[in-house]
Amino acid sequence: MAYVFQGKVFDVIVCGAGHAGCEAALSAARLGADTLLLTGNLDTIAQMSCNPAIGGQAKGHIVREIDALGGEMAMNTDATGIQFRLLNESKGPAVQSPRAQCDKKAYQLRMKQTLEAQPNLLVFQATVTGLLRDGRRVLGCQTNLDIDFHGRTVVVTTGTFLRGLLHIGKNKNEGGRLGDFSARTLSASLLEAGIELRRLKTGTPPRVLGRSIDFGRMEEQRGDTRPTFFAFHDTRENDELFHVEHSRGQQRLGWAPGTDQISCWITYTTDRSAEIVRRNLHTSAMYSGEIEGVGPRYCPSIEDKFVRFADKPRHLLFLEPEGRHTDEYYINGLSTSMSLEVQIELVRSVPGLEHAELVRPAYAVEYDFAPPTQLWPSLESRKMDGLFFAGQINGTSGYEEAAGQGTIAGINAALKVRSTEPLVLGRHEAYLGVLIDDLVTKGTNEPYRMFTSRAEYRLLLNHASAELRLLTHLRRIGLVPAVRLARIEAKAARVWRWLETLERERNAGITWGDHVRRETPELQLPSEFVAESESVRDEVLYRIRYRGYLERERRNIERLTNLEHVKIPASLDFKTVRGLRKECALKLAEFRPATLGQASRISGVSPADLSVLLVLIESGRSGT
Amino acid sequence: MSTAWPHEETIVALATPSGESAIALVRLSGGECARLAREIFGRVPPPRTASHADYRDGAGAVVDDVLFTYFAGPASYTGEDVLEIGCHGSPYIAERVLEDLVGRGVRMAEPGEFTKRAFLNGRMDLSQAEAVMDLIHARSERALEAANRQLRGALGKQIATSIERLVGVVAQVEAYIDFPEEDLPTEDRGRLRDDVAALRAELGRLLATAHYGALLRDGVRAVIVGEPNAGKSSLLNRLVGWDRALVSPEPGTTRDYLEEARVLGAHKVRFVDTAGLNAAPGALEARGIERTLERAAEADLFLVVLDATRPYPTLPAAITDRLTVANTIFVWNKRDLAGPGTPPVEWAHFPRVGVSALTGGGVGDLESTISGLIDNQRVTFDGDVIAINARHAGDLVEATQGLAQAEAKLVDGGADELMASDLRGALEALGRIGGRVDHERILDKLFASFCIGK
Repeated sequence: MAYVFQGKVFDVIVCGAGHAGCEAALSAARLGADTLLLTGNLDTIAQMSCNPAIGGQAKGHIVREIDALGGEMAMNTDATGIQFRLLNESKGPAVQSPRAQCDKKAYQLRMKQTLEAQPNLLVFQATVTGLLRDGRRVLGCQTNLDIDFHGRTVVVTTGTFLRGLLHIGKNKNEGGRLGDFSARTLSASLLEAGIELRRLKTGTPPRVLGRSIDFGRMEEQRGDTRPTFFAFHDTRENDELFHVEHSRGQQRLGWAPGTDQISCWITYTTDRSAEIVRRNLHTSAMYSGEIEGVGPRYCPSIEDKFVRFADKPRHLLFLEPEGRHTDEYYINGLSTSMSLEVQIELVRSVPGLEHAELVRPAYAVEYDFAPPTQLWPSLESRKMDGLFFAGQINGTSGYEEAAGQGTIAGINAALKVRSTEPLVLGRHEAYLGVLIDDLVTKGTNEPYRMFTSRAEYRLLLNHASAELRLLTHLRRIGLVPAVRLARIEAKAARVWRWLETLERERNAGITWGDHVRRETPELQLPSEFVAESESVRDEVLYRIRYRGYLERERRNIERLTNLEHVKIPASLDFKTVRGLRKECALKLAEFRPATLGQASRISGVSPADLSVLLVLIESGRSGT
Repeated sequence: MSTAWPHEETIVALATPSGESAIALVRLSGGECARLAREIFGRVPPPRTASHADYRDGAGAVVDDVLFTYFAGPASYTGEDVLEIGCHGSPYIAERVLEDLVGRGVRMAEPGEFTKRAFLNGRMDLSQAEAVMDLIHARSERALEAANRQLRGALGKQIATSIERLVGVVAQVEAYIDFPEEDLPTEDRGRLRDDVAALRAELGRLLATAHYGALLRDGVRAVIVGEPNAGKSSLLNRLVGWDRALVSPEPGTTRDYLEEARVLGAHKVRFVDTAGLNAAPGALEARGIERTLERAAEADLFLVVLDATRPYPTLPAAITDRLTVANTIFVWNKRDLAGPGTPPVEWAHFPRVGVSALTGGGVGDLESTISGLIDNQRVTFDGDVIAINARHAGDLVEATQGLAQAEAKLVDGGADELMASDLRGALEALGRIGGRVDHERILDKLFASFCIGK
C-alpha cells in the first residue's frame, strides 16, 4: 500500500498549478477549505506558456470578474505588468478592455509567494498519475512518488499536459510544454472512470534574442501613460498589492505598478515570408498530417494564414518582451509547426529580424481534453462525484479563461465540502457565466476562447461593473474579506443613489439623466456628484447614457430568467417523456441540460418542448 | 443590478378563436397593462370592472367601441397585470387592435405563453395546467403545421437569406469590436450602411405581405355599395348562388347589412350587402346608411353597383375617399336595359364590368375581375407568394426598427457597441421566425471573412 500523505483527508486537492490551478487552490483555501495544491514542478507555477500578456478583449473582463470574486490574477498582473494598454477605447465603455504585458518570471514568483503565504493551503511537488475512487465518487489521487493523497474533492487542471505531444516539423517530443513532462497515465485513469477524452491542438511562436533584433526597422507600441489596472483598487486594501512581498521583507518583488513601462514592437511578414511558407508547407506538422487534434481558428499558424488568406500580402507581428530580467522576445503572430530550419529562415525574412537568433523554437502541442458537456454548471463532473475540472482540460484556451474556471471550480469544491449550493453565474451576470454555460451546454470543437460577441448581454457586462454585478454572490458565499465587501456595498449604494437622484431631479425642465443623454453642452452636474470617486461617477454615467439599451437587455433576460430557475432533475430520462418530439428528446439526452434555460439554448428545442418539460418537472416536484 | 428589474415583458394574444364569435377578446399580460390602458383609453379603471370606451389607435383614429377590464396582478389569470379588451367579433377589428398594440411595443405571445406565466406565478394548479397544455398542443400543432409549410417554403427561404446577410453584417461589425489589435482592412462604413439599408428594404417588402396574409386567413371583405334599388341585393344573390337577400323592386328594402361568404379562386370572399345610399334618407334609412358606412370602413374591396338606366350617382365622401383603383370595381347593373354611361373623370381608369343581376349575364366577368384585384395584392419573391402572419409581422417590425437604429448610427455616429446591439436585436427578431442564430454562427462567418489571429 502506498503511503497516504500525512495520513489525512484534505477538503480540496487541486492537481496542477497553472493559471486554473492557482486560482482554484486560492479560492478554496480562502473559503476555509483545507486545501492541497499538487504540481509536477514547483518552479513552473503560473507559467505563461504562450505569450507574456494578460487581458485584452473579453479576457480583460474575465480578469476583472476574477478580482471581484476574490481571485488573484488581477493583482498579480498589476504587480508584475510591464506595459498596460486599454483596448477599444473608441468603440464604447462596454467593449473596452485592459491588457497588460507581464514580466513572465516575476508573475510566477509573485503567484508562488501568494500561494505560500495563503493560510489553509499547502503546495506540494508531485506528479498526479491517477485518481483514487470508490465507484462514482472520487477519493483523492495517486502520484509518481507512490504517495497517495486523500481528498473529499479533487480539482483537475492539467492544461496541455494530458498525453501532451509536441511537434516541430517531423520532430516529436512528449511533454505539456517544451522542456516539461507529459502526464501519461492520468488519461487512462480518467477513461476508466468513464470520462470521455478527445484531442485538441494549439501552438506557440518562436522566441528570439532581443539584442539580435533591429528595433529601428519596427514601429514602437508604447503603454498608456495612464495605465488601466485590472484589480479593483478602490475596494481593496491600499497596501494589498505589495502585501505578499512585504511579508518576506527582503524578498520584495516588482516595482510600483504601471511605472517604467516597456514597449512592444510592430513589424510585418514579407513576400519572402509567404514564399518560404508555401515552399515548406510539407515540413509543417499540421499540413503533413502529423497532427490529429483540432486547432483554434482565432489563433491560426502562419502557414494557415498564408494558405487560407492567400490574397493578404502581409501579416502583422508583435514583438513582446518577456520580462525585465531577460532579453527574450515573443513573436506574436508567428505560431507555426514547421521544422526549425524553416522557422529560422522565416523569422529572418521579417524586417528587423534579419539577424534574429532563435532561443526557443515554435511548436504545436496536442493534448487530451475532456469534452465539457460532461460537467454540471458547477464544473463538477456528471460522471464522478466530487471531481471538478477547470482550464484547458475543458477545451478552453487562454490564461484568463483558465483562471476564471479555476476560481469557480475552487469555490464550488469548497462549497461542496460545506454542503452548500454551488456558485453558478448567469450569462447576464458575467463573462464567466457565458463561458461556463457555453462549455457545459454546447461543448466545443476547438480550443474555446472568449469574445465579447459571445455575450448576448454585452452592455450589462462592462468591465468596470464586475463587483456590482456579482455582489449578491459575494454576500452569499463570503468570497472577499468583510472590509472589502463593505466597500463594495458602499460603492453599489452610491451608484444606485445617484442613478435614482439624477433620473428624478430636474434642471432647466428636464432631468439630469436627460441632460446626459442629450449631451447638453457644458453641463454642470450637481457638485456633490462631481465630488464622487471616479469609479462611481463613471458607472452612473454609463448606466444613464445607455439606459434604453440596458433596459432592453434586462427585458430579454427576464424573458428567459424564469426558465433558468427551473432545474431539470438529473434522473430525468428524456426519451421516455411523453409529448417531446423525438429529435428534441435525443438532443436533450445528448446535452443533458441542467435547467430549462440551458435547454432553451440548445438548437432544435422549441417553446412547445419546453412547456412539456416544465409541466413534467413541476408535477414531479409537487408529487414529492 | 438585480434590484430594479422592470416588470415582465408585456404580451398579447387573441383569447377567442379568430372570426368565430361575436366578441373578440384581446388579452394582454405584463407590466405595461396599466400604462397602455391610460394611453389608449385615457384611464385605468378600478380592477375587475368592465368599462366602455373607444379604442383609439396610435394615430388617434377610433378602431372600435370596446369593453375593457383591468386586472391588477397577482389577482389575475396570469398573476401579472392583465388587460382584456372585448371588441366586435370582426377579425378585421381584432387584427387592427393587435397590430396597434404591437406597434406600441407589446409582443405577440408564444403559443402557451399565458398559461406558462400563469403556471410559473402559481395561478394554476397542475391539473389545470396540463389540461390547458394539451389544448395548446393541439392548437399550436395546427398553427405550427401552417407556419411550417411556409417556413419550409418561400418565407423560410426569404428569411434564411435575410438572416445570412444580416449575419454577414454583424460579423463585420463584431470583427472590429472583438479584434482591435488585428491588422484588419480599413472598415468600410459606407458599404456597411448600404448593406443595412438594403436589408431593411428587403424586410419591408416582406412586412408588406402581412396584409395579404390577413386576406388569406380571414377572407376578403367585398362590400357592395350603391344607391337604393341599384340591384345590390340581387347581385349578392347572383354572386353567392342562392337567394340570401330579400329582393324587391321597392327601393330601400335592405335596411341593415347582410353577409355571405363563398370561395372564389384561391380566396374566401365575404360579400357584404348594404343599405342603399340615399341622398335624402328617412330616419330608418339613415340608420341603415350609417351601418353601410361602418361596413365600408372594414372593406378590402368595393363593388360599387350602378343602375345603368340612371345617371351617375353622388356617393358620400366617406365612401369615395376609400375608393382606389386597386380596391374598387364599378358594376353596371341592368346592362340588358341600357349601356354604361360615362364615368366622372377621376374614376375613368377604374375597373368596370357590366352585368345583369336579373339574367346573370356578365357575372363571370365580374368574378374574374374580383379575383384579379385580390391577386394583385399578393407580394411575390422570385415568383413565390409569401404571406406572413401577425406574429411574424411583429418580429419583422422589431427587426426593421433595429436596422433603422443601426443605420442612424452609421450616418450620425454613435458607439459601435450600441450599433452592434441594434443589429443583434434585429438578428434575434429574425431568429424567432427563421430559427435561432447563436454566436457560433457569427464567429464562423467572422473567421471565414477575416484573417484573425496572432
